[in-house]
Amino acid sequence: MHTMECPTHEHVSRRALLKNTLATAGGGALMNWGSLFNSKATAAEVKKNQKRCILLWMNGGASQFETFDMKIGRPTGGLFREISTNVPGTRVCELMPTIAQNMDKLAVIRSMKTSQIDHPGGIHLMHTGYSQASGIRFPEIGGVIAKYLGSEGSDLPNFIKIFSHGNTGAGFLGPKYQPFSLSPEGRLPSFSTSNLNPVNESRRNALRTFVEDSYASGHKAETARMHREAYDASRRLQNVQGVFKIDGEWDKYRDLYGDSAFGRRCLMARRLIEEGVPFVEVGQSSYDSHADNFVWHRGLLPPMERAWAGLMIDLEQRGLLENTLVVWMGEIGRTPNVNNRSGRDHYVRSWSTALAGCGVKGGLVYGESDENGVDVKDNPVSEGDFFATIYKALGIDPETEHYTGVRPIPIAPFGSKVVNDVLL
Amino acid sequence: MKINKPIHTWQLKFEGEWPTSVAFLGNGNRIAAGNRSGQIFVWDLPDAPPEPTDDEKDKKNEKDKSPPNQPPSRRLDGHTNGISHLRASADGKLLVSSSFDRTIRLWDVDAPASGKAEVVLDAKERTSKVRYKSGEEKDAILNAPGHMIETVAATHTLEGHKDWVASLALGSDEKRIISGDNSSLVIAWDVETRKEISRWSGHQWNGVVAAALSPDGQTALVSEYRYKRDDFDIPAAALKLWNVSDGKERLDLLKLQFPKLDVTASTYGSAQMWRKFVKGGLLAAEFSPDGKLIAVGQGGETDTGKVHLFDSESGKLLRTVSGHRYGVCDVKFSADSKYILSSGRDTMVRICQCADGKEIATLGKERGGQFKDWLHAIAISPDQKTAAAADIAGMIHVWQLQS
Amino acid sequence: MSSSKNLSTSKLVPQKILLVGVVAIFLSANLSFSEDRLRDVIDGHVESAWKTNKLPPLAQSSDGEFARRVYLDLLGVIPNYAEIVAFLDDKSDDKREKLVDKLLNDPRFAGHQAEVWDQVLFGRNPPGYGTDKRSGFQTWLRERFKENTPYDQWVKSILRAEGNTVDDGAPMFFVQYKNKPEDATEAVTQKFLGVQLQCARCHDHPFEPWTQLDFYGTAAFLARLQVVEAGKKNKLPMYVIGEKNLGDVLFTGPVTEQEVGKKGEAVKPKFLQGDPLEEPELPKDFKEDRNFPNGKVPPKPKFSRKDQLAEWIARADNPYFSRAVANRIWAQFMGRGIVHPVDNMSESNEPSHPELLDALAAAMIEHKFDLKWYIRELVNSQSYQLVGSGELEDALPKWFERARTRPLSAEELLDSWNVAVGYEAIQKASGAKPSEDRYAPLGSGYLMQFFGKPNNGVGDFQGGLHEHLYLNNGGIARLLSSAKGGLYDSLVNSEAPWEERVDKLYLSLLSRRPTTEERETFVAFLSDEKDPRTRVGEAIWVLMTCSEFRFNH
Repeated sequence: MHTMECPTHEHVSRRALLKNTLATAGGGALMNWGSLFNSKATAAEVKKNQKRCILLWMNGGASQFETFDMKIGRPTGGLFREISTNVPGTRVCELMPTIAQNMDKLAVIRSMKTSQIDHPGGIHLMHTGYSQASGIRFPEIGGVIAKYLGSEGSDLPNFIKIFSHGNTGAGFLGPKYQPFSLSPEGRLPSFSTSNLNPVNESRRNALRTFVEDSYASGHKAETARMHREAYDASRRLQNVQGVFKIDGEWDKYRDLYGDSAFGRRCLMARRLIEEGVPFVEVGQSSYDSHADNFVWHRGLLPPMERAWAGLMIDLEQRGLLENTLVVWMGEIGRTPNVNNRSGRDHYVRSWSTALAGCGVKGGLVYGESDENGVDVKDNPVSEGDFFATIYKALGIDPETEHYTGVRPIPIAPFGSKVVNDVLL
Repeated sequence: MKINKPIHTWQLKFEGEWPTSVAFLGNGNRIAAGNRSGQIFVWDLPDAPPEPTDDEKDKKNEKDKSPPNQPPSRRLDGHTNGISHLRASADGKLLVSSSFDRTIRLWDVDAPASGKAEVVLDAKERTSKVRYKSGEEKDAILNAPGHMIETVAATHTLEGHKDWVASLALGSDEKRIISGDNSSLVIAWDVETRKEISRWSGHQWNGVVAAALSPDGQTALVSEYRYKRDDFDIPAAALKLWNVSDGKERLDLLKLQFPKLDVTASTYGSAQMWRKFVKGGLLAAEFSPDGKLIAVGQGGETDTGKVHLFDSESGKLLRTVSGHRYGVCDVKFSADSKYILSSGRDTMVRICQCADGKEIATLGKERGGQFKDWLHAIAISPDQKTAAAADIAGMIHVWQLQS
Repeated sequence: MSSSKNLSTSKLVPQKILLVGVVAIFLSANLSFSEDRLRDVIDGHVESAWKTNKLPPLAQSSDGEFARRVYLDLLGVIPNYAEIVAFLDDKSDDKREKLVDKLLNDPRFAGHQAEVWDQVLFGRNPPGYGTDKRSGFQTWLRERFKENTPYDQWVKSILRAEGNTVDDGAPMFFVQYKNKPEDATEAVTQKFLGVQLQCARCHDHPFEPWTQLDFYGTAAFLARLQVVEAGKKNKLPMYVIGEKNLGDVLFTGPVTEQEVGKKGEAVKPKFLQGDPLEEPELPKDFKEDRNFPNGKVPPKPKFSRKDQLAEWIARADNPYFSRAVANRIWAQFMGRGIVHPVDNMSESNEPSHPELLDALAAAMIEHKFDLKWYIRELVNSQSYQLVGSGELEDALPKWFERARTRPLSAEELLDSWNVAVGYEAIQKASGAKPSEDRYAPLGSGYLMQFFGKPNNGVGDFQGGLHEHLYLNNGGIARLLSSAKGGLYDSLVNSEAPWEERVDKLYLSLLSRRPTTEERETFVAFLSDEKDPRTRVGEAIWVLMTCSEFRFNH
């Protein structure tokens, strides 16, 4: 009924072979995505080590002055005080007591210096590593990681988002790496379970496949292909519904992660990582405190930092932390100046992000801002540098290229430098 | 209280961190004000204003002229973080301050000095004066001496809170203090012995954003609020009356308004029920001096912050008055309980009649761009003739309410 | 051309209009327009661009393809079985043009166009209180399309915002921006002038010509508006837009330099890239209450700034206005704007076919913003009627070298499914009263959740797997009803041979007859002895959820 048009490893489903079921994964024709190709050696190599990534997305831009870059006593310092951590000499905001006791896991970068100051631009930048350019749909970091660390034909999607922002999705990587979104409570969307008799479902699917093949032979518009791939992925989801039922585990882990929505999302992320999903993005919203900056951070930070610390501890206890990279960032930082709404506006000349886990040296702070937090004093880290570092930590070559048309597009922009000091 | 063509009599320079709090000490000429870095100053103003300074005389345009300034006479030292509220006894002998440094301090402003200090309260003005100057002239202005004044230490420090003390009230019998902190703990204190009478907590996820005591000191009004933990995780706000003696809940005003309110729910949907009523938190609260009314102000940042007036016995909402663009900062009743004064994020004080909500006067002038500066706190002198407001732009305004 | 006279005599029009192509409008208007029909002008420009870009021209669409496409674009719903059979079997030469005229006069045309514009003006989640319940506005807009009120006139009505939101409808637009003249400014300039000013809110735009004073000068026109609650009518909240005599936007400079204590300067209204507004002086001691009281219709101001803005925006010689709507409607039918995206007409976003855009804008002006006429010309062009299949992967080809592929909107999906399965007939047969709910029988909740976004009318399709969960696992169960009168019932209880029934199935759902292979496969599937009735349901499901149904081709 359908033909294999692409070479070897892309489409043979391990699962299908093992189960001796359908000859093709998911029952659909998997076509190579246009003229894109990548380094096959890279792909095979990274898949061996089963590395994974969790991105904690602080939507709106958390303030570095209320988290990792305290400027006590300076006019830009704000109202919170600092506390010491389990890394001598390092201090963080008093709103993060649990993280303070887990700083030995973190590599904090205080010298982020990026280029996009508004939300749409910043969200695109810090999800793809690139500024928006018309005509090119850059893939999000989740799409890239799904491609290089994911397993073909897995029943669970390789790129899962739990209430997060950013919508370029898989970009030019194609529909296979599109994100699958859970609700803000970490639940599957409605209608996730089929009620059909498997025999009926199967024959209905076969008829549908025929119709789609017939259509595809004459219509090549990418939107139709995305639609079709998505249908195949939706069927595979049937087999893994249990993963998403976390009520039982939540009772046991509520204390560790903290009784909050963000905490629950982080627990879901851990479960998905455990099941082999290579990339889960967990979002918290909104840090865009143009007004009442201190009130906002007082509300948002405590549940966030408890869950973040809980997640790292949980991963560590399960022996997963050394192969799971936990990335903490937002799209922008916030201004040193406090405006007349008691808020901080957008700022990208100097701000903070953090990494922990796979490939990362814990217990260190990289880069510094000046005494008022206005500029980076040394070791600036651009968005490209940050992405290159993330990919390197996961064992993916940051210079891996994809081709759209004739232009090569590396997964981290040309000229990006890996920040080796934060890596093991 | 009588208001008739109020005059803006003083504009006291208090530059540096935002002034956040203000109180009269016994009469309309003695004012205490605190700011966001923990400084508290006391001003003793003469009855008649001084001669205009040379700078003022030079100003050609009426609009640019400001009311006179006077340096403070004392500085109250001790707090290490911002002052949230100042409350004073009617005779001015006791001043109480609550702070983000987690303490409450009691002051006798006339206590013997503990030291001397040079204070500069016009730092911003100096900076703007030297914008086009350089070299010696610039240095001369920037480094010109400040004022030498005495400093005083607190008579007592109340420690019991482990988080920012964001709310404070002094009962009108001046026997009890109530304080609430950012971790939802409320403590009632006895002024004389400085011991805790009782303590209780609101919802663990909330902070206490306002607290007030009934005139007989028996009932506490506590307003809880927390900015959301996430767009889909919004703790329920609370507004309740409690018995001071044993910390037991007496009346839930918010539940009275919204019978279906579920205090344990934090979903987006459950929050929609009370959000329009509470806006950015009911962060100013007062009992009327006659004990019959309760006023709470809707804080920001919000479209328009209004003041809800409740009946203190039944908890029923009587009417909603006033209205400050972007939110209310503070509320105070007049001594005759007839008027409610509110200050807000529109750089204004609004005076409304409690009986019908009519706005009868305003003090101040809007200032700023799309967003205006805040009048962070207001105070009324015991003789009801003077009002003062803490302006975040670095000044304390004083108005004579009748001309 | 009379337009050039308007520029110098009108007091309201800025004397300096800085815009690329202004001269070109008048030139091309003079040269090409009065001779040729617009449809031919369009085809000429599009073909010439193909030649320049060395693109081979493609064939025209098949009848079935065309019919489905034009029904969806004009009426927002696919043709029903009788309609498509009639069209396919019509042998006349001019049947396409006749179909277009028939559809333009169909009552559903006004409803669909009103829904498209309602989304432009409000989106799925409009800001402001009470704006999600706006049937007054929607009814008003539908009437405008029914009467073919010229576009400039109904835009002017929206901007003048007279009357109330229930009886008159138009004021609901500004209710979205209560106390937010800055937000209203962004919306008005984006939707009606096609320009993006939002960056200029906080600082002078780095590369566009907009300064902060341009932004605040425009916001000043809207600074005196107040949303007045006027009670309830027909169970709907009723609002009136009042305008004060006093009130200004205060400006303190770039946001990063904002300081506490800074006095804001009142910004006087100024036309975009043009002159300040001349306003009459008010008497010195003029006072008015700060807020209009709720419950009463507010009096009109002595001088209305917003009316001045309305006059300036919605007129033939405002070049932003005509270009923006010509481009937007082009995009609505052709997939992408000649300037793309349609609300970003700027010097850094060049039109793909500049002369064509000039001609379209000129035609719009010449025909006094008659949208129905414009649309008729568009859909009668050969460029619109190109084939929809082919090797090209682009959903929205830049040179219009293939008809665009777009997903159906949530409303189009629902309405088309209802038509295909015979929902109306089922309701009638059961004697049930027709539902008041526009989204019956699926309900707006799920429809919006799974198909609501993106919905920019131009067809950005994201392709996640969520919608398939809904489609696979029971969401559309109500449409697969076996009740009397419906498609399922007619297929199962028919005596006709399966070949005929499969034809009916394809015609009802995909607006075409099946290929030989398709017919054979379906006949084999349906005539299987095991579960014959269930199989009919499955076959209907397949065609309802397949890609061909999901997209306009």
